[in-house]
Amino acid sequence: MGRIVGGFGMSHVLFPPQGVEPQAGRVIDGMMEIRRRIAALKPDVIVLAGSDHLNNFSLAAQVTLAVGVADSFTTMGDGTPAATFPGHRAFAEAFARFAEPNGFDLVQMEEVKPDHGMSLPKLVVDPTDTVPVVPVYINSLMPVPPSPRRCYRLGTVLKQMVEQQRPAGERVVVVGTGGLSHWLCLPEQGRVAVEFDEDFIARMIAGRSAELAEYSADHIFRESGNGGLEVVSWLFMAGALPGAKGEKLFYEPIPQWISGMGGVALMPEAA
Amino acid sequence: MSGAYRVQKLIQDLQRNPAAAAEFARDQEPAYESYGLTGEEKALLREGSPPALHKVGLHPNLQMKFMRLKAPRPPGAPGLMDAYLDRLLGR
Repeated sequence: MGRIVGGFGMSHVLFPPQGVEPQAGRVIDGMMEIRRRIAALKPDVIVLAGSDHLNNFSLAAQVTLAVGVADSFTTMGDGTPAATFPGHRAFAEAFARFAEPNGFDLVQMEEVKPDHGMSLPKLVVDPTDTVPVVPVYINSLMPVPPSPRRCYRLGTVLKQMVEQQRPAGERVVVVGTGGLSHWLCLPEQGRVAVEFDEDFIARMIAGRSAELAEYSADHIFRESGNGGLEVVSWLFMAGALPGAKGEKLFYEPIPQWISGMGGVALMPEAA
Repeated sequence: MSGAYRVQKLIQDLQRNPAAAAEFARDQEPAYESYGLTGEEKALLREGSPPALHKVGLHPNLQMKFMRLKAPRPPGAPGLMDAYLDRLLGR
């Protein structure tokens, strides 16, 4: 059996540091700490969950949950330089097949060019472009998003797949990207829901993510903004490590960036 | 086609067509005409304020794309994350 050896949640964008140098410094330091910890875990596969920003998905059709199955992916180059990294077809297809009898019909994506929402975290978690990465797309941008409970449950299905179907010794790291609170192009833009963000992080690292998964998507949207809903990807990650406790690696409310910026690590017991 | 969809489709199409986007940056009116926007929709897009873009039914993500289409980043201007790339790329 394979093992989920670690989970991480992190914001998926950076803005220029001018005027907020100390906060920006702590954010990039936190992201580099995530890089260091993932390298130490020596993953064979990284599952990277997040949202697309109407760059791959479009008005033509709303895709709720999808997995990238290609042998390699080339990023869009919006924010980070375009880069090509390996996917993991066997892992991704196995996930799609395993998910179906477990209540999830995943869209399989052969052609996708990850935008900044995936490419910045990808650059953070593996700058060498040598560890295969399986992108999992969780729609938080367009109505109707999947419920937080379902995202968490899908993470648990991933864990079961890894433990039941993947080769012995395979080490898998799961990363949920996006958030924390931010309102984009809404009247509340510039607000940062510090209390919500800090409570979210505190409960997640206390091993209480299942409670967070009981929030409705509407509740998260209302309390932490349209961008804040991206934390459903963190809940997917947490679902892959049920009950795991962890550590806050950084949290910076930065109104100038219109965002709460955060990062956490969850560690399974005996990883 | 509903008004909101028509306006959003315009922005999406421009986003995917660099030549049309360059034309749009110079003059928005022909695109508004060719997508059959109403007088009110055109007025709201011309105003371009967040409340106006919300009223015309533009998704927040497409609002950002619309603003970028109207005022593209000059060639060579620093990117959003450039300040961090040396460290991220280890160079």
